Amino acid sequence: MSAVATENNNENANDQTNGNDVYPLALLMDELKHDDISNRVEAMKKLDTIALALGPERTRDELIPFLTEVAQDDEDEVFAVLADELGNFVPYVGGPEHATILLPALEILASTEETLVRDKAVASLNNIACELSEQQILNDFIPLIEHLAGADWFSSKVSACGLFKSVIVRIKDDILRKNLLALYLQLVQDDTPMVKRAAAKNLPTLIDLLRQNPDLSNDVDWDFISNMFQKIINDSQDSVKFLAVDCLIAILKFFNTKNDDVHFKDLLTSAVKLSTDEAWRVRYMAADKFDTLASQFAGNNEYLTELLPPFLGLCEDNESDVRKAIANEIPGFAKLFKDHQPNVILTKILPAVQNLSMDENEIVRAALALKVTNLVELMSKEEAIENLLPILLNMLKDEFPDVRLNIIANLKVVNDVIGIDLLSDSLLPAITELANDINWRVRMAIIEYIPILAEHLGVQFFNQQLSDLCLSWLWDPVFSIREAAVKNLRRLTEIFGPEWCRNEIISRLLKSDSQLLENFIYRFTLLSALTALIPVVSEETVTEQILPFVKHLADDAVPNIRFNVAKSYAVIIEVLSSNKEQYDEVINGSILPSLKSLCDDSDVDVRYFSNQSLEKCNKLLNITN
Amino acid sequence: MDVDMDVPMYDAVSEQLTPTISEDNTTVNNGSDDYQGIDFKPGSSGIADNKSATPLQLSSTNINDLDKWIEQLSRCEMLSEDDVARLCRMAVDVVQFEENVKPINVPVTICGDVHGQFHDLMELFKIGGPCPDTNYLFMGDYVDRGYYSVETVSYLVAMKIRYQHRITILRGNHESRQITQVYGFYDECLRKYGSANVWKMFTDLFDYFPITALVDNKIFCLHGGLSPMIETIDQVRELNRVQEVPHEGPMCDLLWSDPDDRGGWGISPRGAGFTFGQDISEQFNHTNNLTLVARAHQLVMEGYAWSHQQNVVTIFSAPNYCYRCGNQAAIMEVDENNNRQFLQYDPSVRPGEPTVTRKTPDYFL
Repeated sequence: MSAVATENNNENANDQTNGNDVYPLALLMDELKHDDISNRVEAMKKLDTIALALGPERTRDELIPFLTEVAQDDEDEVFAVLADELGNFVPYVGGPEHATILLPALEILASTEETLVRDKAVASLNNIACELSEQQILNDFIPLIEHLAGADWFSSKVSACGLFKSVIVRIKDDILRKNLLALYLQLVQDDTPMVKRAAAKNLPTLIDLLRQNPDLSNDVDWDFISNMFQKIINDSQDSVKFLAVDCLIAILKFFNTKNDDVHFKDLLTSAVKLSTDEAWRVRYMAADKFDTLASQFAGNNEYLTELLPPFLGLCEDNESDVRKAIANEIPGFAKLFKDHQPNVILTKILPAVQNLSMDENEIVRAALALKVTNLVELMSKEEAIENLLPILLNMLKDEFPDVRLNIIANLKVVNDVIGIDLLSDSLLPAITELANDINWRVRMAIIEYIPILAEHLGVQFFNQQLSDLCLSWLWDPVFSIREAAVKNLRRLTEIFGPEWCRNEIISRLLKSDSQLLENFIYRFTLLSALTALIPVVSEETVTEQILPFVKHLADDAVPNIRFNVAKSYAVIIEVLSSNKEQYDEVINGSILPSLKSLCDDSDVDVRYFSNQSLEKCNKLLNITN
Repeated sequence: MDVDMDVPMYDAVSEQLTPTISEDNTTVNNGSDDYQGIDFKPGSSGIADNKSATPLQLSSTNINDLDKWIEQLSRCEMLSEDDVARLCRMAVDVVQFEENVKPINVPVTICGDVHGQFHDLMELFKIGGPCPDTNYLFMGDYVDRGYYSVETVSYLVAMKIRYQHRITILRGNHESRQITQVYGFYDECLRKYGSANVWKMFTDLFDYFPITALVDNKIFCLHGGLSPMIETIDQVRELNRVQEVPHEGPMCDLLWSDPDDRGGWGISPRGAGFTFGQDISEQFNHTNNLTLVARAHQLVMEGYAWSHQQNVVTIFSAPNYCYRCGNQAAIMEVDENNNRQFLQYDPSVRPGEPTVTRKTPDYFL
């Protein structure tokens, strides 16, 4: 009885919505016939709302058939939205058991010529596949794949390649899976490069899935995959062949997981072949992934040694992009030799590094500089000093700022092993030169490294060598550099402490050249610097050194200075307010009167900021006006 | 003078007066001083209907709104149409009280054309320092050409209202109904707001912008150049500036003229304003006890360029003008002792691009 009642209720609900909801569908249809494409796109984006209003049944019976029609007759922008929306439509059609109703429309969209639409349709199909039962996969989804893969036109076949990953490990039956792999092999051998590329691109994903489900795969699977890989690596088109690198890595991982090294000799040959391919794009790909590729052979010294010649070949490649890619991989590759053949690093790899550090292309040198410092961990201190240090020192003198910057940014590891002292002779000129680079963004970059350097170098070295530089940035013509210099001083104080700041920074700032300070820009900078330091120095420093300077600027001729004095007062009060009894005289006898007189300034902005500041101070001091 | 003749000449030819605005069936009445576009009558936006008789005093609500707008605009997000209407009404009550020759105190940083290159305007503030900590004088041409005229002019106008004494915005020849219909601002408003309302409001506001400024009685600043009908600065003070930029006469010349290597007055290839020689500049500076005429209006590859033996300086603040000219931009800082310093800068770094490294092509996309 109760079941019937619920049924009736549902129907009532449907009836009620029916009355209103002829409207949304009609509206959608109207909008979808609009002349302006942007209206049609907008209408498509509201599809979920309409489906929700219609309810699952009418969505299945009316909306989906209508959309399947639309999917054959509109423009790509509309299709793209439709393909996207349908991927989230399973709940609207009444859950997974009805989900297959969405497939026909998506199949049409997955066959369109426009890549964007196809990609979205494939993504949506994969989305839906996750929710399908095994039976639905067998009865509906696999036929769809077969249909797409068997189409005449390349676009459908490309889409088919992207769908295998949703089904391959859900097929428990070996024969069926074998059929699927046979179908995939067909795609790998297709006539058109577009299809071959799509197949090669998706192959690593499929191999990874098989690896994650080891009990599923058997030797027949491997035969297919091996066959596919051979087709890809021997393809006549570079654009297909270079995808073999990722496939190879996936295959190696697959066997490493299985602890099966029967095929490794052959796979090594493939790795060497790819790294020495005549097409530079293939070599680039191999160089770009060299570390990952080589580390699959880790543990087998013989194989690793065989990878050395191709590695060195890539380091001397004719194409600078290949050299740039391999420069990034050097420390990772070298690390593989650390435990068993450490001499290889010094005798074979370092000479290659040496050459790359003098490469004619600055981009190559900059890429090398990013990682080269990591090599220091792979050798003893003496070896590093003797062999690596000269290279680093040379790179610190590189004419291209990025090379120097990258070395400096990654010096920490060098410092940990051999200490910074050995570098300092070259480091300082490099920093100084970058600090004066004509491009302000280079100057900015080096300022940002200063706190990191300061931490490694220690206070003594810093005082001797770098503090002048840090102060000089305050007088840079570019505002952003002055601003960064101010922040830098604050960071340094956080590292070296308030006492250091008082002696080394504030006392020197207060002795700044009076001629320089005739320009309001530098008075402003000095004021900002001292204001920024207020929270990180001792209260005595604030009252004895900073406050007198701030106060003396309160009657500056330039209003911009005066309203920044007002802002500084609030910062000072914020520090002193926690101890306001002790500083009563300073606060009430000095700061507040000065601030109040600024509130009556002739300039409107000074008055505004002073009042703001005063309000803040009163709040801090619990004074109610 | 180190001027790239290519683009100014392009300007000169295509910015000739009275182009026919075909798409809107609005033709311009050549030769008449009043612009008579049917749909675009000056004042039709209504932003100046309730002008105040006294300069705008900012209430704390105003300040809150302005600070909010400035924050929003600094992210390059445009204001709603209603907010633009409020912005322009407030702006009228600020700029209408400024003199034709706006007196300006030192220190000030003087800037040239911006032309809707919003991100480069933000770069300018990174170089020169943010307003209000730094005082600014902009010499016109905020709109047209670049992709963000709406955001650029909204930002500058909002700053102008918020910090009236810290920033001055003069009128350039592009702050005009006629020119903006040809060079992009009108289309941009239409595209971004769906109607011409915002364009009407801003162009109505432009009529009130001051046309020249005098820095510390020493540097005469304006968009274009001198006029044969203006011998003294006092004559500028007597002009009625609240109108569409006329096609001829002193106000037109101040916004359109260019310095030239040839002496005396010459006919401008732009079709409006004149060219003037060193003799004219020297005489003008002498008569008015000036040290310098600072102006914008022309692309200069280094961002600034001296002419007439340092009697005239051209400042151009749109780096890589039109996103293709490859020029540097510059601003001129004048400190409180009247020392001048030029700061040059390159286009801003767009988000997503590397900061220092050159971009390597991605062959596999």
